Amino acid sequence: MIKLQHVSKIYGKDIVALDDIDLSFNEGELVILKGVSGSGKSTILSLIAGLLKPTSGDVLVDNKHISKLPDHFCSQYRRDNIGFIFQKYNLIPTLSVKDNILLPLVPLNLDEDDLYAKLEAVTQMFSIEHKKEITVKNLSGGEQQRTAIARANVNNPKIILADEPTANLDEKLSKEFIQILKELKSLKKTIIVATHDPLFFDLDFVDRIVEIHNGKLDRKVACS
Amino acid sequence: MLLTPEVLTINILNLLFLIFASIAFYYSVKIVLKYDFNATTTLQYNLEKQSYLVAIIIKFIFYIKVLLFIFFIFTLDNISNILPGAMCGAGVVNATEYGNYLLILKIINLYIFAYWLVLNSEDMKSEKQIYLKLKFKVYIFAYFLLMLEIGLESMMFFSIDTKSVVDCCGSIFSTTDGTYMAQLLNIDPAILLSSFYAVFAFIIIAYILKNRYLFSLMNLLFAIVALVSLIAFFGTYIYELPTHHCPFCLLQKDYNYVGYFLYIFLFIGTFYGIVLGLISFNKEDENVKYKISLLFTTLYMFFVSYYPLSYYIKNGVWL
Repeated sequence: MIKLQHVSKIYGKDIVALDDIDLSFNEGELVILKGVSGSGKSTILSLIAGLLKPTSGDVLVDNKHISKLPDHFCSQYRRDNIGFIFQKYNLIPTLSVKDNILLPLVPLNLDEDDLYAKLEAVTQMFSIEHKKEITVKNLSGGEQQRTAIARANVNNPKIILADEPTANLDEKLSKEFIQILKELKSLKKTIIVATHDPLFFDLDFVDRIVEIHNGKLDRKVACS
Repeated sequence: MLLTPEVLTINILNLLFLIFASIAFYYSVKIVLKYDFNATTTLQYNLEKQSYLVAIIIKFIFYIKVLLFIFFIFTLDNISNILPGAMCGAGVVNATEYGNYLLILKIINLYIFAYWLVLNSEDMKSEKQIYLKLKFKVYIFAYFLLMLEIGLESMMFFSIDTKSVVDCCGSIFSTTDGTYMAQLLNIDPAILLSSFYAVFAFIIIAYILKNRYLFSLMNLLFAIVALVSLIAFFGTYIYELPTHHCPFCLLQKDYNYVGYFLYIFLFIGTFYGIVLGLISFNKEDENVKYKISLLFTTLYMFFVSYYPLSYYIKNGVWL
């Protein structure tokens, strides 16, 4: 269960990204955060991931005060709970697919067998097992997207956050991504997608669409 | 005023400490007064960010200060070469009225700064930062001591007159001039040695009993008894001279810089011992600290005991 309570976020002195937001997400729910660029969608994801602290208010994940965690505990929380899919993938272009995917596991000091078992599982799940040794800069956009998704899932997080995941994809690849989302939802993961891509607004497996406008919740639409 | 490269380095660093420690002091007071862990206000989030940054500033100051103590001792020893009459750092310390106070304060500060560093490290390990307010309260107290130290240090270096003849360590640590120091040096060696080894034995007993408070107290006592017995008894065997009691000459090349090892062993051993009584560590950390403390106090004990024993074996008599 994720809760944002009276959350405001002001960048610098006067750029209000979020203004006294109250929002909650249930376990296993797939929620679309809808809004134009600069509306505050990405800020919500960053707050849930513990990448940002609110200016005021509280962010709770499973009753844990994420916004109150010291930075080094935030990293641990992220590693254990969050899979983040970034708009520009944030992969390391000079590393192979395998190394990019295994990167979040480095601090865990797992033995080699465990590492490769996890690698095999996610590369098969997202159909990139044949590209494991290829350097990321030599992949197509769709393959890079799948690598990013595999990396976000390698630690089997219970929360998946996706920030404009289809912004750099054509329609065919976007639909492929939506199919992946459906599979992730069937695994009972809590998924929050920040997007203004209309492809996401009529999906039958989406639980809710939350519209954000100028840092405030506009309306909530129940979809299913 | 004395301006050797070492003194200049210390003065420049002191100026930086003064600036950064004062900034940290301002925020520490704010944090102590207004920090409320449960609040989710803008002020609280700002204080949380500030507390992290301020703790890093203090951490760097105190790490440097702890290491700088060795540099300070080295500087005193170096200055003794240009001060008429001084044979070692003792002459420099006694060259002005501030030296002795400064040295005592520096030793006390060394322990307090190191305590703050351990407190901060424990605080950072805790998700709820259980020592946050305490560490900033300790810092506020330490800040005044730091400022006093900087003031005394500057005044000491400022007051040293390189043209005046100063006392050498032989007369400062004389056993015949009726001063407190003379009384200390005249303590019966049997009493001194009994105390030294008895306190060490109590440290071992406290370790076996895993009584951290007793262990801490015994380490505090050991630090005092060890210093007194080093000056009054063991030092004479290092110099192989019954009348020489200087705690500074040990730091010189003539004695293989043995003083640096002895003082570092004594500080690390007793500090980790004392801190066990002041902070509640988890079992694993507690064990590590017990072992570090015991290792270094034992090394110190064997190291100082070696000199009289080897003297006796070589010469068949005690000094």
